[in-house]
Amino acid sequence: MSTFDIFLQQLVNGLLLGSFYSLIALGYSMVYGIIKLLNFAHGDIYMAGAFVGLIALSFVSGIVGAGWLGILISMVFSMIAVGLLGVLIQRAAYRPLLNAPRLSILITAIGVSLVLYNSVMVLTDGEFKAFTTDLGFAGVGLGNVHITYTQIILVLATAALMISLNLFISKTKYGKAMRAIALDKDACRLMGINVNKIIAITFFIGSALAAAAGIMAGVYYGSIHFFMGFVLGLKAFTAAVIGGIGSIPGAMIGGLVLGLLEAAGTQLPFIGSEWKDVFAFSILILLLVFKPTGILGKTETERM
Amino acid sequence: MSKKYFGLVALVLLLSLTLFGCGGQQAEEQPGGNEGQAEEINYDGEIKIGLMIPLTGSEATYGKDMENAMKMAADEINAEGGILGKKLVTISGDTAADPQQSTSAATKLVSSGVVSVVGGYSSGATLPTLNVFADANIPQVIPVANSTKIIDENPGNAIQINGTGFHQAEKALELFEGIWDVEKLAIVHQGDGYSEDLAKLTKEAWEEAGHEVVAFEVINKGEQDFSSLVTSIKSKNPDAVYWTAYYADGALLIKQLRQGGFQGEIAVGDGSNSPKLMEIAGNAAEGVVCTSNPMVEYLPAAKEFMENYKANYNQDPGPYSSLAYDGMHLMKDAIERAGSTDGDAIIKALKETEGFQGISGETTIADNNALANSNFVLLEAKGGQWKLIE
Amino acid sequence: MSAENPKVMEKEIQKPLSPGRFTDMLYELLGNKRIRYSVYAALVITALVIPSFADNYVLEVFTNAYFYIILCLGLNIVVGYAGLLDLGYAAFFAVGAYTTGILTSQFGFNFWLTIPFSILFSVIAGVIIGGPTLRLRSDYLAIVTLGFGEITRIAARNLEITGGASGLIGIDRPMLFGMRLYQIHHFYFLFFVLVILAIFISHRLYNSRLGRAWEYIREDEDAAEAMGIDRVRYKLYAYVMGAVFGGVAGSFFAVKMTAISPQTFLFTQSAMILLAVVLGGMGKIQGVIVGALLLVFFPEIFRGIGDMRMLVFGIVLLIIMVFRPQGIWPTRRS
Repeated sequence: MSTFDIFLQQLVNGLLLGSFYSLIALGYSMVYGIIKLLNFAHGDIYMAGAFVGLIALSFVSGIVGAGWLGILISMVFSMIAVGLLGVLIQRAAYRPLLNAPRLSILITAIGVSLVLYNSVMVLTDGEFKAFTTDLGFAGVGLGNVHITYTQIILVLATAALMISLNLFISKTKYGKAMRAIALDKDACRLMGINVNKIIAITFFIGSALAAAAGIMAGVYYGSIHFFMGFVLGLKAFTAAVIGGIGSIPGAMIGGLVLGLLEAAGTQLPFIGSEWKDVFAFSILILLLVFKPTGILGKTETERM
Repeated sequence: MSKKYFGLVALVLLLSLTLFGCGGQQAEEQPGGNEGQAEEINYDGEIKIGLMIPLTGSEATYGKDMENAMKMAADEINAEGGILGKKLVTISGDTAADPQQSTSAATKLVSSGVVSVVGGYSSGATLPTLNVFADANIPQVIPVANSTKIIDENPGNAIQINGTGFHQAEKALELFEGIWDVEKLAIVHQGDGYSEDLAKLTKEAWEEAGHEVVAFEVINKGEQDFSSLVTSIKSKNPDAVYWTAYYADGALLIKQLRQGGFQGEIAVGDGSNSPKLMEIAGNAAEGVVCTSNPMVEYLPAAKEFMENYKANYNQDPGPYSSLAYDGMHLMKDAIERAGSTDGDAIIKALKETEGFQGISGETTIADNNALANSNFVLLEAKGGQWKLIE
Repeated sequence: MSAENPKVMEKEIQKPLSPGRFTDMLYELLGNKRIRYSVYAALVITALVIPSFADNYVLEVFTNAYFYIILCLGLNIVVGYAGLLDLGYAAFFAVGAYTTGILTSQFGFNFWLTIPFSILFSVIAGVIIGGPTLRLRSDYLAIVTLGFGEITRIAARNLEITGGASGLIGIDRPMLFGMRLYQIHHFYFLFFVLVILAIFISHRLYNSRLGRAWEYIREDEDAAEAMGIDRVRYKLYAYVMGAVFGGVAGSFFAVKMTAISPQTFLFTQSAMILLAVVLGGMGKIQGVIVGALLLVFFPEIFRGIGDMRMLVFGIVLLIIMVFRPQGIWPTRRS
């Protein structure tokens, strides 16, 4: 492989990994934007999405097969189911704490994460589950750079989801209400906006996006397990902060940036796979030192 | 207030649903094995044997395989009249594959009066517990922790019945030099004590033999995307890749190596010898060779074990259960040879083990309290199954 | 931000929440100095006599609990006193543990001589982590501390001197007055003394000028600055103090375990320590102790239910947080 081929291939790798980060980072950022909560359970929502998707797929594959149609159906099902799970979690665990100290709700999120993670562990007996589909390795090659159709479709699906989200937030009245609540919750309440409903919608969308990412991960990587959300959740959180937490376009950019950083770190001499996370976190810290609110975050004064 | 309650009730309902889904069988298993047919035998008291395995955390899947196998062995022993006429009772200690949890589980076993311990999975969690058992003079059979550090740190009360890292690296070299005739090697481990140890031993041995290691990489536990690593490995043109850690992540790596167009040979260490490797990696696993501890599938002696295990637990035994099973039978053998439950006598008997016939082969303990002869074999993935390379 | 308003918090405290009643009653009771000191004396005496009848397992669990009390009191200085979010506290604990481990096993140091070095390196780590980050908003601080925590762990995993992924093994047991400390009851008393020391220092800090400065910063950073408090410097003090607690605890942890490896210093460890502090009641020594005890005892008590125990722990945690968001035993503002 020539250096240029390696560069191109790593670019593709980074963007693909980054688009997973972005999808999950969106959920972090949306929730943070609206109730200032770092939702540590979000990675586990992604994991739950993958498992619900696998169950759905095992049902529909008998009827339509485990090809793209089957995957699409189970994805929609999982997005709805896990979206509702997100709403339920918000209703049961977070809403009673909206006026509590900020750290309490953060700890509650860690508690939700513990519960989700351990429930799935108990239910699956801690096993890895193969996510079997009918998709192969076929794809297009650009010189030495190989991209499978699965990869192309996943990136397109991610892009489609993000564009719809952007349209939803900028065009619909719910989207407007979300943005308004992020600015001033109390004023919104006075203006007659049903704040609780909007928060619930936010959780629904964030969780549904994570579920979509979960299924895509299952399809792409071919196996899922109960702790798959842990590392990815932390990375997505990092991505959201890089982009500027609370900012929707920031989350998308942050995810891609982190994906590219990791790809670059893996390839670069003296960093390699051993030090790539150190590399990514160091860049993050440097970024925050020079631009304390991330790439697209707004400056605001605030305390814990 | 009432709203608070509502939320809570909803949550509790949700959780109790999850709990009921699986609560049933969990409770009954504590502490002994499955009782079953053994009830008619009149035992002359009890012998408690502790099991050290990860039942929670990321390694839980292997831990449960081992627990199942050891409880099965215990049931068989009891059905044949127990040990020295006493009923064998197992007590599980959950190590969570974590050093702190392990230490606590170990002291708990010591306090609950176990005569001996079978178990110890993952070197990181096993090392800090060695002294806990040694201080209490409790004999231990370690079935699945093969960092060479355990040999160095063994206080003398424990024996290791799995092949050591040296044995495995030796076998790997035999494969790379003798069968594949490769030159440039890439080694990937998973950042834990065991797989790093094997990776380093292999690297040293390979370089000593005058060959080249072009890439020495690590995968973080829980990550799924290795495409950048694959590109990086490919750019260094190795003839073969050796994965020294477990099957689950190994399957992902193999799949992504092939997906990324890697044409060279792929070998995996004994942590990857599960049939699940092929289930997850699919066709990509075809032709992968494993430096494996002897697996139940190729051992005529293990056929019955395999069938019983499947009948009892409705799943494959997994990569470590045969050693765990042997460990339990060896412990019984040693206690009977010692003729008493005295710690020193059992430790002496364990160390003197020679030619013990288990389902994974013959066990003879060397002076360093580890397995004397390498029992590693080479397996090749063919059509979704491991086949022994003669 | 209404969430930060101390008045709202106070209202929460005064609500007649049933699980809180008990601690509120406790409050009344402990308001009386004589009763308070007798209760504390009784607790200390209980702790001292436990080893005479408890088995090794119980002692092991208690020792572990004492160890977490020290860590939690350390983190409490950062989180509870100064109001800074820290998601990478395990890094300091790692620095202490590795300092002792490396100095004793590779340079032949006496254990007690490694403690000043642990403190020194913890201070340095605190300054490195605190220096560039303390100007950040709290949530950004969270990710930066998390990042430093991960960097520390990965560095420990990759470097030769830290023993790589296997970590350091065979760390020598310490000698004290010519006696080798190796049995669990030795460590039980050793950690108990450390706990008393940690409580004493925490208490003195809370009532010192430094403690009041932290309180100002926590309650209103801008006002504190206007009053002439150098907020970055005081925040840094909080970090460094917290780091020293973590470092010293880490040193003792290393000799107790005799083997340390990077898997002890995962993000989960930091999250659990933070969890104990918030669960117990940030800023309140008694609360933090209760949180640490709960963190250690709960999973041990439920060992019997095997793989379900962490699930149950999560559920109980949620219930407590939903009913008592300010923690089990929070500080009371006058």
